[in-house]
Amino acid sequence: MKKKLGVYICACGGNISDYVDIEKVREAVKDEDCLVLAKTTMFACGDTNQKDMEQDIKENDLSGIVVASCSPKLHLTTFRGVSERAGLNKYNYVHANIREQGSWAHSDNKVGATEKAINLVKAAIAKARLAESLEPIIIESKRSVAVIGAGVAGMKAAISLARMKDEVYLIEREGKVGGHLSALEKISPEGTDGRELLARLEKEIAAEPNITLLTNAEVTGTSGNIGDFKVDVTIKGSQGEMVKQFVAGSILVATGFNSYTPAEGEFGYSNIKSVITLPEFKALISEGGKADADGTMRLYYNNREVQSIAYIYCVGSRQVKGENKYCSRYCCTAAIQSSLDVREKFPNVDNFHFTRGVRTYGKQELIYKESNDKGDVYIQFPDKKPPVVSEENGKVLVKAIDILSEKSESEVVADLLVLVTGMVPDSDTALGNLLKLPKGRDKFFNEIHPKLRPVETVIDGITIAGTCQGPKNVAESVNSALSAAAKSHSFVSLGELELEPIVAYVDNDTCNWCTACSDVCPFSAVSMIDHNGKAVAQINKSTCKGCGMCLPVCPSDSIELISFTNKEMESMIDVLAQ
Amino acid sequence: MSKRSAKILVFSTEKISDPAIDMAGLLKLHYPPEVFTIPVRCSSGIKPRWILRAFEKGFDGVFIAADGSDCSYGESCTEKTGHLVERVHEMMKSQNIEPSRLRMAAICSVCSESFVKQVKSFNELLLKQEIQ
Amino acid sequence: MQTERIKLTYDALVIGGGIAGGEAALNLANNGYKVLVVEKSLSVGGKMIMLSKVFPTLDCSACITTPKVSEISRHPNIKIFTESDIESIEKLGEHNFVAKVTRRPRYVVEEDCTACQLCEEACPVIVKDQFQYGLVGRKAAYIPFSICSPKVAAIDIDNCTLCGACEKVCPPGCIDFTMKAKQYEISVKTAIVATGFELFDPSTVKRYSYQEGKNVITSMQMERLLAPTRPFHTILRPSDGKVPDKIAYVLCAGSRDDSMGNPICSQICCMYSIKQAQLLMGALPMADITIYYIDIRAFGKGYDEFYEQAVSMGVRLVKGKIGKISEKENGNLVLRYEDVSTGKLKEAEHDFVVLSVGAKPNEEPQSLFKTQKLELDNLKYVKQSDPLLSPAKTTIEGVFVAGAATGPKDIPDSILSAGCASTEAISYLNS
Repeated sequence: MKKKLGVYICACGGNISDYVDIEKVREAVKDEDCLVLAKTTMFACGDTNQKDMEQDIKENDLSGIVVASCSPKLHLTTFRGVSERAGLNKYNYVHANIREQGSWAHSDNKVGATEKAINLVKAAIAKARLAESLEPIIIESKRSVAVIGAGVAGMKAAISLARMKDEVYLIEREGKVGGHLSALEKISPEGTDGRELLARLEKEIAAEPNITLLTNAEVTGTSGNIGDFKVDVTIKGSQGEMVKQFVAGSILVATGFNSYTPAEGEFGYSNIKSVITLPEFKALISEGGKADADGTMRLYYNNREVQSIAYIYCVGSRQVKGENKYCSRYCCTAAIQSSLDVREKFPNVDNFHFTRGVRTYGKQELIYKESNDKGDVYIQFPDKKPPVVSEENGKVLVKAIDILSEKSESEVVADLLVLVTGMVPDSDTALGNLLKLPKGRDKFFNEIHPKLRPVETVIDGITIAGTCQGPKNVAESVNSALSAAAKSHSFVSLGELELEPIVAYVDNDTCNWCTACSDVCPFSAVSMIDHNGKAVAQINKSTCKGCGMCLPVCPSDSIELISFTNKEMESMIDVLAQ
Repeated sequence: MSKRSAKILVFSTEKISDPAIDMAGLLKLHYPPEVFTIPVRCSSGIKPRWILRAFEKGFDGVFIAADGSDCSYGESCTEKTGHLVERVHEMMKSQNIEPSRLRMAAICSVCSESFVKQVKSFNELLLKQEIQ
Repeated sequence: MQTERIKLTYDALVIGGGIAGGEAALNLANNGYKVLVVEKSLSVGGKMIMLSKVFPTLDCSACITTPKVSEISRHPNIKIFTESDIESIEKLGEHNFVAKVTRRPRYVVEEDCTACQLCEEACPVIVKDQFQYGLVGRKAAYIPFSICSPKVAAIDIDNCTLCGACEKVCPPGCIDFTMKAKQYEISVKTAIVATGFELFDPSTVKRYSYQEGKNVITSMQMERLLAPTRPFHTILRPSDGKVPDKIAYVLCAGSRDDSMGNPICSQICCMYSIKQAQLLMGALPMADITIYYIDIRAFGKGYDEFYEQAVSMGVRLVKGKIGKISEKENGNLVLRYEDVSTGKLKEAEHDFVVLSVGAKPNEEPQSLFKTQKLELDNLKYVKQSDPLLSPAKTTIEGVFVAGAATGPKDIPDSILSAGCASTEAISYLNS
């Protein structure tokens, strides 16, 4: 039976129609074979248009639709939903990307962009003519989640997942949990002690029977897919190593960050004794004090009293020359908090902050204000002219141009220089490589979309939480951890998942079982069966991932991939070649 | 707009290189509009007959935007895509098609600039061949 | 007039249908819970649906909001009440809340309206359009805005003259002036407060000349001018319809200033101003754009890179706090400011000024809870009882908070906090 197709060309409120003449596209495709309807629309994804599409499908008894709009990565599910609501099998909808690969890519060439859009829509129509109805594959999903990394994000995620009644494996490579939390003596805004928070979390984890905590444990192998990941964990113990394997429906990655380590000589680091990093400074505040005769607390570093402290901000962040272009987000507030702490504990200390503009966003502004009110001195140096640091009589001399005072040269001789170091991605890249997690330009793990899918990765079933996705403070890490927990939970909570039925299949008549396909299949989805007395290949539907690696190696071209068949591919190629 | 562009078919991959090509659009990194992309699941799943079909029907060049080591279906992808290209190059020679008309490069999910550079230089090469 | 309340039962009540409330509702619904979203205005989508594009990806905001909004409005587990007020929420015990809700009449039968806009054409009354932030007019019978959800007309009864013109032209005859408010009594097991934030009103600060200066607008008005669904399809200054070529941004308008009642940083203004500047450079390639700032707070993922991109595109950044803005006869504006780099007082003339207005707390949620106190913090935002480890918990057990109700937040942070609130709510439902 001949197909009845409808085509929708989206203006995207100008994003497409400013560069692509969508009316011309409509004119050019409206007489294509099988087409009964071709429309343009302001926003294809808008509610009204979705309703119109549903009505069109029903009224015209359409057996397929083509939507030409933005990248299918954004709205594939939207239009599949439209199809399903209108009673059309969702695999009869074909998408043409005329924004990211059309109007935007060729905004310099309107004629060319329009021509290309016409071809792309025609190719999609060609594919829609051949598209077949498919039923999704339903798989069982194990109600368990592997949480990798037991810092504050991982611990909070584990507790929440357990409270949502999921089984949780919390895997920590160190001997103890907590990550950086125990090093935070005072956390803004209320000066909460990180060690107290950690004690609370440890107690909560111990009280959850659904959490299996594994320390000194590293994920050394994974296989399987969403709903059914097999995770190998190597645990180091006093009797050597052992490998434990378990199954998880989802994996939540919360592997955290490293503090930036300055290069040798960067602002005098490791050449001048009194130059330390922010984490080193935090440790010094809690350990380096001595009370003098009248009970006043005094701060000592290397047996010398510290009365003046200089801070240089953005060390390892927002680099003009280096690779770290990003802002580390937490450090302005963390440094100011530490400078307030040090003043409170050691009243005779003076603080001098060399910044590139203070970024105490939101309510954190209040601590910046407090610091100013208490008399801390702020100097802002130009982005491209960082301060110069030298040693002078055992002290540190910091020279900088101050754009807050008519660009005058400003000099501070300090007993201690604190380099306000930012966050860098975890130096151990093994896990990212193992799970094939994509990274952004900043080398942190990348989400699919910062607003639409902020905790999901391109690997189905794997979520990311906390600072492994990008710099965050404690509260922000927890927000993202619980958000990731919500997503991981939704992968496992219903006990089953729908998978795309995009799998390979074999033509029994032409297959001669040569093992070429089973040799290349990374998922061992191919086995030999008997077909009317002849050995042929058979592909297991639930283990086939639809990668298509078996397609080109078959000497008799007996394997096809659903929705990427020779007919579909070649009809698209033919149209695009015109 | 005087200079003609070569007609290029790009095989991208849904999860890795197609997002990079999308991002090239988002960043308005322009490339010739005669470059058309068909996304597949994995670059090691492209059939030689599809590539040959493209040449037969009039494409000047075919560019495989390969997954490289980022492929979510396994590390063997790079090697397999490499073999595939070698095989097609042989087939092209036997059909008197200049093998340089098929090119492959790994394009990671954020390699937008690299993609644009690749297709532009490929375009120039194809145009040069045409003149000769 | 005491009418019988309609009784309904849900697992969760989400107060506010902006992006945070919507995201929280979706998370709950996708895990099988039944959710009621109560929204006070005519459309869900909150402030985000009104934006032009979003930083730092420059995706168009409608493209990201509409599919979410559409998913929310179609989800079998979600019911939405727009144009509705919560009168009270009482906690009777754990997992036991009762909310009294009123659905105000929109005088249009929602199910029958086809959004054909004929009523709009027929209506003789013209008033300022609040959805376009007063930039243009609208009728008293009107569709709120082009991508609103539900896309249904409404009658603005306060401004309606009851002439009946709309009734006559309405094809399905769905205009009903006899419509009454409906009262509900809703039983739920948990509630999520997602009441968002208010925008700072610059007319309270005389020196900004927001009302006298015709060419001084707020950043939200600029969002509308730049949006794909924009009223003029180009950028025009209000006084004479001229295309501006020397545009100024005044950052921290209503933020970081005790004298304006807001000591904190609003967290979003630097980035949206930088975004608008980039969009303006695209729309008006010849225009000069200057941003007057105190500090640039480009702190999120990809934000600093986005800021550097604006600088490299030629956006001028001047570190200086704006004192007074005065209007000249030709409609241009003179900005007095202290140029921090020279320490001198300076003046600059611009033909269009955008005030980057900050966020203010929405104090409304406090008054909704009757039996137990929903506390606010010192800044009048909803108080977080355990801000570091459970940022979504409030002072009432079983009531959680999402989005900018706890303090200014950009969209990614609002969405993450909504995810957090839904996880806490599911945990509570399972306890």
